Amino acid sequence: MHTRSVFTRRGVAWSFLRYLFLIGLATVNPIFAAEPAPAFTLPGRNQPVSLAALRGKVVYVDFWASWCVPCRKSFPWMNSLQKRYAGQGLVIVAVNLDKSRELSDRFLSEVPSELTIAYDPDGEVASAYKVKGMPSSYLIDRAGRIHSSHIGFREETASDMEAAIKDLLQQP
Amino acid sequence: MRTRPLFILFTLLSLPACTLTPVQPWDRDLLAEEKMQLIPDPTEAFIDEHIYFSKEGSSGGQGVGGGGCGCN
Amino acid sequence: MQLNPNLSVRRALAAATCTLLGSAAQTSQAESTDDQWRLDTSVLYYSEQNRVTVVEPVVFLRKAIGEDSFLNFRLVYDTMTGASANGATPTNRPQTFTSPSGTSSYTTPTGQTPLSPFSDQRIAIAAEWEKPVDRMRRTVYGINASTETDYTSFGLSAKLLQDFNDRLTTLTVGIAGSYDNVMPVGGTPVPLQLMSTIVAPPPGGEDEGEGGAGQTKIVTDAIIGITQVLSRRALMQFNYSIGYSSGYLTDPYKVVSVIDGTTGATLDYRYESRPDTRLRQSFFWETVYHLNQDVVHFSYRYFWDDWGIRANTVDLHYRLELGKGSYLQPHLRYSVQSAANFYVYSLVNTDPVPAYASADYRLGDLTTTTVGLKFGIPVSPRSEISLRVESINQSGNGSPDSAIGIQKNYDLFPTIKTAIAQITYTGRF
Repeated sequence: MHTRSVFTRRGVAWSFLRYLFLIGLATVNPIFAAEPAPAFTLPGRNQPVSLAALRGKVVYVDFWASWCVPCRKSFPWMNSLQKRYAGQGLVIVAVNLDKSRELSDRFLSEVPSELTIAYDPDGEVASAYKVKGMPSSYLIDRAGRIHSSHIGFREETASDMEAAIKDLLQQP
Repeated sequence: MRTRPLFILFTLLSLPACTLTPVQPWDRDLLAEEKMQLIPDPTEAFIDEHIYFSKEGSSGGQGVGGGGCGCN
Repeated sequence: MQLNPNLSVRRALAAATCTLLGSAAQTSQAESTDDQWRLDTSVLYYSEQNRVTVVEPVVFLRKAIGEDSFLNFRLVYDTMTGASANGATPTNRPQTFTSPSGTSSYTTPTGQTPLSPFSDQRIAIAAEWEKPVDRMRRTVYGINASTETDYTSFGLSAKLLQDFNDRLTTLTVGIAGSYDNVMPVGGTPVPLQLMSTIVAPPPGGEDEGEGGAGQTKIVTDAIIGITQVLSRRALMQFNYSIGYSSGYLTDPYKVVSVIDGTTGATLDYRYESRPDTRLRQSFFWETVYHLNQDVVHFSYRYFWDDWGIRANTVDLHYRLELGKGSYLQPHLRYSVQSAANFYVYSLVNTDPVPAYASADYRLGDLTTTTVGLKFGIPVSPRSEISLRVESINQSGNGSPDSAIGIQKNYDLFPTIKTAIAQITYTGRF
């Protein structure tokens, strides 16, 4: 029973090893710090949102979608952060990845928010930022460099993020 | 041959290597839906397993996790 | 006089072990709302034509604790009445069956499949705790217990879910064990003992039969599975399970007819006997696919054990969205099983007595076909009511070549038709 195909014993063994290798590779999570944040211009609620225009501010970019429960949970916290630190130069940009505007609109009508919303339905900006999980947040300093990134949202670790934001706001 | 079941197991385990473009985290909207879970209705699955266990000679097989939106 | 609860129900209790491995753990990643509670209340009405009727309310409660942990609870209450086949074959005269202690008996009219009557209630509870270890790993611990008149079960389970590949791949390993105690009312029969040799105890004498010496059974199961996201619309799962049961695996109420090798007339009965160990294995494959609105679930299972049983089962659910959250879901299930190697229709009186023998149809060559339909409708943005009806048909060969003499006049494997109806309320708050 020796057929010349991928179903030879050797073919299957290699496939399996390749699978293990891919899994191993993918579990390493690339976090790129101190690199310039990829620029973007995306449609917003009323006018386009451009990262370049926010140079000089501390920008917290959050990738979210209406179907992602932790994303929904992060909104009240982000709303509160924006209110408290806007005066010091914090701008939160919540990049929405829903496939249809209707879904994000419905969410925002249930959870009102004054945050800057940007729409990235094709995920192009998310790809540029190498988003690995939902939600993903990127903290960008006043010089436009990525200070840190974080996957997921948990209320317990939110205070660490807030401390990091306060630090960055203090820097010129 | 006696190693055939193992063979089939490895072939199936290699299936994921065939996923040419991995699904991006923001493309998991459909997978997040309740009806897309492997066991969408735990009560119905429990009742069915209970019924067939008491009516047939075979049982079990299901009961592992995964899928979904992959959030957090 | 009413005889005793049917072991088929007790075997179902052992299913609590298996189904604890089939928990709601996987839904934690996909909760589409951030509600704290989910409540499912259901009532199942189960009716085998001319046989058993079961009414079973089930309550399932899921509570979020903290950020990513959950507690699941399930409470089941069964009332069962009716009668089920005791393994003896119909014959040309009325048949009387006696309990092993000799204290009770029941009779079957001429030409009918002997059924043993019963009535009982059962309560079963289960709880599970799901908690994350880190971002890519979760554990689920479970405990379950059940009790009825003469059967108690207690079990534990543990499961580990490890994600890879940005959570596109999940590896699950699980183990479960249960300790069951059977106290057959009417006494435990001596395996393969002839019923004609049972004598009723002298009046006023000590009755050893009632609630006599308990029989124990230990059931262990393990599962390893891989779930893989294939595309935005498709998900696949592949599991291997293995289980080992040891202890008292025989049904103390089932008998095997002993027939005359020439005429086929029933002469006597032997209490059945099954091995005291059983090694079970299965391969299970499931695929889920999301069309534009509809979702298809398809699964295949191959089961085999060291009793000689082989079973192939396919299962298909198609969820047809009707709009505004209501849906119709047809269901088809088809399962073909080959008999255990000690399964017999009956024993010939002059043949040597085998080591093990059972005429329980559930261990025979059996084909089970299920056709069902479920209808669901939302009653509020976060709750839904659904109604499911199914028809289950079980058949086998009622005229085997091994039938002798007058046995050929009877259906030795009657088709069993079952109807079920289940109504469920699911609410989140």
